[in-house]
Amino acid sequence: MTKVSITKLTKNYGPGIRAVDSISLDIPSGEFVSLLGPSGCGKTTTLKMLAGFESVTSGGIAFDGQDVVSVPPEKRDIGMVFQNYALFPHMTVRGNLAFGLEMRKVPKADMDRRIQATLDLVQLTPYADRYPRQLSGGQQQRVAIGRALVIEPRILLLDEPLANLDAKLREEMRVFIRDLQRRVGITTVYVTHDQAEAMTMSDRVVVMFGGKIAQQGRPGDIYDYPVSRAVAGFVGQVNLIDGKIVGVDSGIARVDTPFGPAEVKAGHRTEGDPVTLVLRPEAIDILPADAAGGVTASVVASYFSGAILDYTLALQDGQTVDVKTIARQRFEPGAQVRLAVDAHRFWPLEVG
Amino acid sequence: MQSASARPRAYLLLLPAAILLIVFMAVPYLNIFVISFRNPGQGTPYADGYTLLNYTRIFTSTLYQGQLFNTLWIGLVTTFITLVIGLPVAFQLGRADLRWRGLAYGIVLSPLLVGIVIRSYGWTILLGNNGVINRTLINLGVIEFPLPLMYNSLGIIIALVHVFLPFMILPIMSAVQSIDPALVSAARSLGAGRVTVIRRILLPLAMPGIQAGCILVFVLSLSAYVTPAMIGGLRVKTMAVTVVDALLDTFQWPLGAALALVLSAIGALIVVIFARATRMRWKVQ
Ligand SMILES: Nc1ncnc2c1ncn2[C@@H]1O[C@H](COP(=O)(O)OP(=O)(O)O)[C@@H](O)[C@H]1O
Ligand SMILES: [Mg+2]
Repeated sequence: MTKVSITKLTKNYGPGIRAVDSISLDIPSGEFVSLLGPSGCGKTTTLKMLAGFESVTSGGIAFDGQDVVSVPPEKRDIGMVFQNYALFPHMTVRGNLAFGLEMRKVPKADMDRRIQATLDLVQLTPYADRYPRQLSGGQQQRVAIGRALVIEPRILLLDEPLANLDAKLREEMRVFIRDLQRRVGITTVYVTHDQAEAMTMSDRVVVMFGGKIAQQGRPGDIYDYPVSRAVAGFVGQVNLIDGKIVGVDSGIARVDTPFGPAEVKAGHRTEGDPVTLVLRPEAIDILPADAAGGVTASVVASYFSGAILDYTLALQDGQTVDVKTIARQRFEPGAQVRLAVDAHRFWPLEVG
Repeated sequence: MQSASARPRAYLLLLPAAILLIVFMAVPYLNIFVISFRNPGQGTPYADGYTLLNYTRIFTSTLYQGQLFNTLWIGLVTTFITLVIGLPVAFQLGRADLRWRGLAYGIVLSPLLVGIVIRSYGWTILLGNNGVINRTLINLGVIEFPLPLMYNSLGIIIALVHVFLPFMILPIMSAVQSIDPALVSAARSLGAGRVTVIRRILLPLAMPGIQAGCILVFVLSLSAYVTPAMIGGLRVKTMAVTVVDALLDTFQWPLGAALALVLSAIGALIVVIFARATRMRWKVQ
């Protein structure tokens, strides 16, 4: 059970190459935190600094209040899972699991017991004496997780561990890892560029762009209340609607939108200020043309994917919007429909 | 379905190599094998009729046995020393974060760019009683009389180590290069220090390269002719030198052939034993 505190952590790979830019993050004991961001935003570098593989340019890392910046990786007591698994090819599954325990000089009997418990945990008991290359991708992945956990590390670090698996296995492994982490209760930092992965697995998501933290919060909050266009767009599909504040009343701002009036928290804004509103595609209802309420629109395209139907529609002023609905009622391209949105489903961006 | 028809065509690709191997390896070897059972000739390479005499001569002559033993000894020691010198070099050159990779390659390969005769001649200049090494040591007052570095096995080994070092370094270097750097990170995160990483991860994974380097250098040392001939002179003869003598000087082809085959057979036996002893179970499916 370890609490991780990161303060103003910065990494320069060379003059002018700043991979991580003064990030601060507190991870309570037992929490599952995802670092989410596009490729090159500094996720791996952050993880490597946590693990001790990369030196820190400035800033601090503390485990349970103890500064670890100058502690070498082998003394940090972390479990790390790599994207390509990094299993030792010359050791069996059992050998891979034993390695970390041998380094800790765990007595033989104790070692056997812990290896067996871990094999059970990652469901690999029948494969204990196989070499990594005799295993499937998913099995190798589980060996990698088992190898990291068997040493009972203070924190678990995972760098895009599912990126090399096919879609179906990836979904299974999400559940598997999340479940395992809850059972073991280990503080976990998970790096991914896949927003769905971050959303489904994490207690908290930290969105990174260009080496900086753009936003952090619970997955639902990040999705519903993004601070910027970039975050809104990265964590899901989004309609951005530019409007003007037409009135402020007891902290609530009214904004005129093509869908009618919207009501959002005013914050520091006053009447006449421009504002960009986030409207998620599933917040819009599609109604038949003869329904009451809503605004008129025409279907430009529809994409059927089983349970979900994605529409692109054109409003009367030509603006296009994306709508996501459950595929119960279908409209063909060219059809006239009405779009209705609850006035409270809009969210104003902090920055434009 | 597709692979069934693709297979025979794939084998066709091996044909040129197979023909080359048969014409230039199997046929001469067979020829040597046959000649080794011929009667010695007078004025001719060999005479009619067959005999076991050539082999019995080898196995009863202390001279040939001594030379055979010495050749194997030189091969083993040369291999061992090139391994000890080459291994750390190869590990450094194989590092993923190596700068000046081109320059490093150049330095390793440079001995191969100069002809072997010239290199061996260079060593005679260095190793002789009046050579650079002895004169320097005498001038420095380290020794009073010149060290015997030429015309003995030590000189041959020194020169062979230099000549064959690239053949040890290159395979190990490429094996080290092919090791995923994440394995080192993984081992360190599991608690392994730098020395343990080398011992438990890098050395075992570089084993295919170490194996290849050792076999290459050993086989090349056994069959080396120019260097032992120039540095060993008339006093120390390796098997290769004696074989060439038998073929060209004394004109005893059957004996030369038998000597060559005995050396090859023993060398092959040692290689097989070595390969089996260092066999990597994780490589075998
Ligand atoms: N060893 C390195 N040397 C120089 N630049 C690097 C190195 N590693 C990463 N970078 C740069 O740092 C930035 C962040 O990289 P990284 O942390 O790997 O991003 P991510 O894991 O989010 O894709 C990138 O621009 C990358 O090019
Ligand atoms: Mg990365």
